[in-house]
Amino acid sequence: MSNNRVTRRQFLTYTITGVGGFMAAGMLMPMVRFAIDPVLQTKAEGDFVLTGQRVDELTEAPVKVDFSYEQVDAWYKSEVTDAAWVYKNGDEIVALSPVCKHLGCTVNWAGDSAYPDQFYCACHGGRYEKTGVNVPNTPPTGPLDQYEVSEKDGYLMLGKKFANSFA
Amino acid sequence: MFFNVKDIEQFQSQKQFIDTAIVPLLSLEFADDRSRQSSSAAEFLMSLTAFIEQQFKGRLLVTPPFSYTPALKDAIRPEAIKDELQSAGFKHIFFMTCDHHWTTIEGERDVIWMPAIPLESMDKAVKQRILEDQLKQVIPTFTSAWTSV
Ligand code: FES
Repeated sequence: MSNNRVTRRQFLTYTITGVGGFMAAGMLMPMVRFAIDPVLQTKAEGDFVLTGQRVDELTEAPVKVDFSYEQVDAWYKSEVTDAAWVYKNGDEIVALSPVCKHLGCTVNWAGDSAYPDQFYCACHGGRYEKTGVNVPNTPPTGPLDQYEVSEKDGYLMLGKKFANSFA
Repeated sequence: MFFNVKDIEQFQSQKQFIDTAIVPLLSLEFADDRSRQSSSAAEFLMSLTAFIEQQFKGRLLVTPPFSYTPALKDAIRPEAIKDELQSAGFKHIFFMTCDHHWTTIEGERDVIWMPAIPLESMDKAVKQRILEDQLKQVIPTFTSAWTSV
């Protein structure tokens, strides 16, 4: 009889394990839900904007892809149309922001016939390599930003901008 | 650049690069038989100038539109606006409008007249293409001014 008695030490160990496990579950559950909850998943996907560009039509030559989304600025809602220069680099899709890193004009691929393999900014003659890296001794001080890319039903999706990875 | 504090601060520190001003001249007519057409033209002019701003942000300032009703038309004097912009440091000043009135004025070489295209009936992609086409019409005017310096 006395052999089966739960000692004070055992009692404490059981209790602490029990409470600890309960607490761990309390912390883990929301994390697991974040990972698998479909509502939250679509929210993450919501950061991507679907474009009208078919992925299988992309080539090594950069094309301009327009996309629009709604921007809320204080009380003012507006539809913003933006663009990206998109091309294939082997199997990888590269999407570059067209916003010049000098003062913000829109750059064009092969915009200057003297440099058919570069992006050109008509405002002050800024130039960038195909990777978006700025050509030294032209006004821009940094490379073009890149967009995250994704695919849905064969169409290209564009996400957040990030610092150029080729630089 | 637009006429807001952030852009104007940038203009003041980069005057050597931002040397062009675009001034929309916007006709407003409120009479029942004119207001629809007038609002459509306003929408077009504002969309087009905003699109030009997006393409050439680092080189030009798009001012808020100078708006007038038929009765106020004669009070708008592009020459005077031009003088004031020039003394602020702008080298090239263009007025953009859909109002034929300004093309009939003798010696107004800086007015770019555009036919108003009714964008309201178009979907996004078509609208974008129209704006791009119209932009292509005006780019030569800008670049010839820019390269003639
Ligand atoms: S804004 Fe592109 S070179 Fe100046």
